[in-house]
Amino acid sequence: MVERSDRGDTLRKVWNRVRERHLFPELPHPVLTDSEENVALEIKGKRISLSKDFVEEMSQFLATEEVLEALLDHAVSHYLYCPWDFSTHLKLYSEAKKVLKDRDMAQKATDYFMDVVSDTHCVSKHDSPLPKLYQHMTRSVMDEAVHALYQRIWGVDLGIRGYEEISRKLSRLPYLDRSRWTESIRKFAKVVQGLLEIEERFDGLNKPNPMGGHSLDQYSSEEIEQGLKDFAMDSATPVEFREMIQDFEEEILEATRPKETGMGLGPGRALDADILYYMKLADNYSLPIRKIPMKKSGSLYPHQHVPWEVGKPYQDIDPWTSFGKILPGITQTWKRREGEIYGAEEGTPDCMVLVDSSGSMTNPRQQLSYAVLGAACACDAYLRNEVRVAVYNFSDAKAGGRQLLPYSRQRAEVYRAICHYFGGGTKLLLEDIDSLQTDRVPDIFLITDMQITNLEVLIRYFNEHKNRVTAVHLGDNEHVQTFRRSMALRKHVSIYSVEKKEDIPRIVLGRIREYFGTVG
Amino acid sequence: MRNPFSDFRILPYQKREIPLERIVRAKEDVMDKIVGGYLRLVEDEVKDLVWLVEHSRVVKAYSAAVKGIRDLQYDVDDIEEFCAELDSSSRIPYMISGPAGIYVSALVNHAQEDRIVLRLREYQRTFHFLGYRLPEGKVLILQGDVGDFIGAGLSGGRLVVEGSAGNWCGAGMMKGEILVTEHAGQSTGEWMRGGEIHVDGRIRSVGKTLFGGKIYQRGKVLAPQDLSGEI
Repeated sequence: MVERSDRGDTLRKVWNRVRERHLFPELPHPVLTDSEENVALEIKGKRISLSKDFVEEMSQFLATEEVLEALLDHAVSHYLYCPWDFSTHLKLYSEAKKVLKDRDMAQKATDYFMDVVSDTHCVSKHDSPLPKLYQHMTRSVMDEAVHALYQRIWGVDLGIRGYEEISRKLSRLPYLDRSRWTESIRKFAKVVQGLLEIEERFDGLNKPNPMGGHSLDQYSSEEIEQGLKDFAMDSATPVEFREMIQDFEEEILEATRPKETGMGLGPGRALDADILYYMKLADNYSLPIRKIPMKKSGSLYPHQHVPWEVGKPYQDIDPWTSFGKILPGITQTWKRREGEIYGAEEGTPDCMVLVDSSGSMTNPRQQLSYAVLGAACACDAYLRNEVRVAVYNFSDAKAGGRQLLPYSRQRAEVYRAICHYFGGGTKLLLEDIDSLQTDRVPDIFLITDMQITNLEVLIRYFNEHKNRVTAVHLGDNEHVQTFRRSMALRKHVSIYSVEKKEDIPRIVLGRIREYFGTVG
Repeated sequence: MRNPFSDFRILPYQKREIPLERIVRAKEDVMDKIVGGYLRLVEDEVKDLVWLVEHSRVVKAYSAAVKGIRDLQYDVDDIEEFCAELDSSSRIPYMISGPAGIYVSALVNHAQEDRIVLRLREYQRTFHFLGYRLPEGKVLILQGDVGDFIGAGLSGGRLVVEGSAGNWCGAGMMKGEILVTEHAGQSTGEWMRGGEIHVDGRIRSVGKTLFGGKIYQRGKVLAPQDLSGEI
């Protein structure tokens, strides 16, 4: 047995060898720790921690170098191959959950599947001591089945007898074909369901795998953000997203907590999966905002060189490019052009978002609502431009179906306001919109199906005010046609139609047709 | 002087192959052949996308299915996977219940294993014609509810349905045994010539024409004593 003091040196030596074998992955140096849980290793924030106790225990059967090498091979394969990132992890878990319908069982099945994939990848590519390590590990029922599978697909003897049918069925899955992992994990989960039920009966689901579980601690908060974005895009409805995300509520809250300014929910909040769904979905679309246009400054600035000709004034001659000579064709003179500057209200104005949540609109918590997604994208675009957003969410405003959020930069508050669903009739109150007007003339973003009872009042309001208006309508009906006709001559109103998700990126916020030709 | 590129020297790499790759390749090869055989059968049988259950067509379809799988080496896992493919895969553009069930029956009847269990409970679709002509010495256990014509033309095998069977269960069976743990539909045992049908639940109606064999409901003989039909 190697003394503990020597183990650090051995680990350094083995780590260099493992890194070289795996083509130098960008991982920090692993450490040996006193693990609280009875697991071989943990990965937190990319750092691999190996359990001293486990290494010591296994050193009774194998050389310490081999134990360390096998553990590092296992950990590095997870990092390099499966799950690779949080998005893949979430996808695999969601497929397992579809089959097993139980959080703990789905997590366990996902953990084992990822172990099988990464270990098999490692053994198929490298001469790894992993099989030797597995020969001596203590095993649960599920471990025995998985090791029986290893015997079959790796062609080694790990001392397992039995599990013929399960290992035969599991051996048919193409673990090394990444494009078929979702299909494979479904079949994997189906085959091991019986064993997981046995483990559940003996409280085995709460115990981590002997090689360590796969918590979200191993991912950075950026990876979790990206994974959520991808998963929101893949989820057909908010319900599907919510069901999956609630299983990882604590971990996601933990990961999103430190970044108040990012797409996180901020501190002290419970996770509202529906809001998170629209946040992450909106993150995938970035809408451009037209800035307030530039205007001529009246001052002339040197713009480009042109050859000097006889008769042209001398004061603009550039001696540095004229070789000190005054000769037509050689001497260069500056051509001046009038400069452009931003107007008095340079940059992006604040935005007031008017979102229709009447009964004719989709309930954003049940189905993907293009109205809410569109509004979320608009809010996101303005917030990214460092300005404030106010929300007026209305159905039958006169009967109390309205929510007014004053100008704010609190992302979660803004999203909560746009995700609120009233149902019922559609009537807005101009006093509410007026209360959100400011001296800096905010932009207005309206998203509705235009079936507004007092639409003509709104049309008159837009005619009388100078705000840049981006009006987005869902579907097509006579009210939409009326609105389009009435606004046809208004240059500060842009109208877009959204029929599907793909229409959303075409929206340009604050676009004014007058300067489209000059600036765009 | 030390070569500055020594860290980037070519590492010796030996292409390794583990048994998994061979297993997966062989399995995919077999599945391609099974799926191909089924698609050919469907194309031949269902030219107008309509398949009528007529005795001659059933016999012809079964013969064609057997011909298609004659030289194939497959096992029960392949049959199970083929059922899963029929249920949800994009590889099979159309699943026409009659030929699909007959094709699965042909696979079961010619499999190496004598005892085959199919977990149909997991599938969305209903399978018909399973256990068609199940030969002597074979035991087929169907877990979950099944469709019509289950065990039709049974030829000595033992068919267990752990669930309910549809109409025409055991139609024209020659010999052998069918056990249904729940209910059976209309015309159970129609044209049967021999063998036994045991239904633990309720039989909706017994076939009008029986040439032999026995039908039991909850342990009591229904036919040949009572051939009237409605229970």
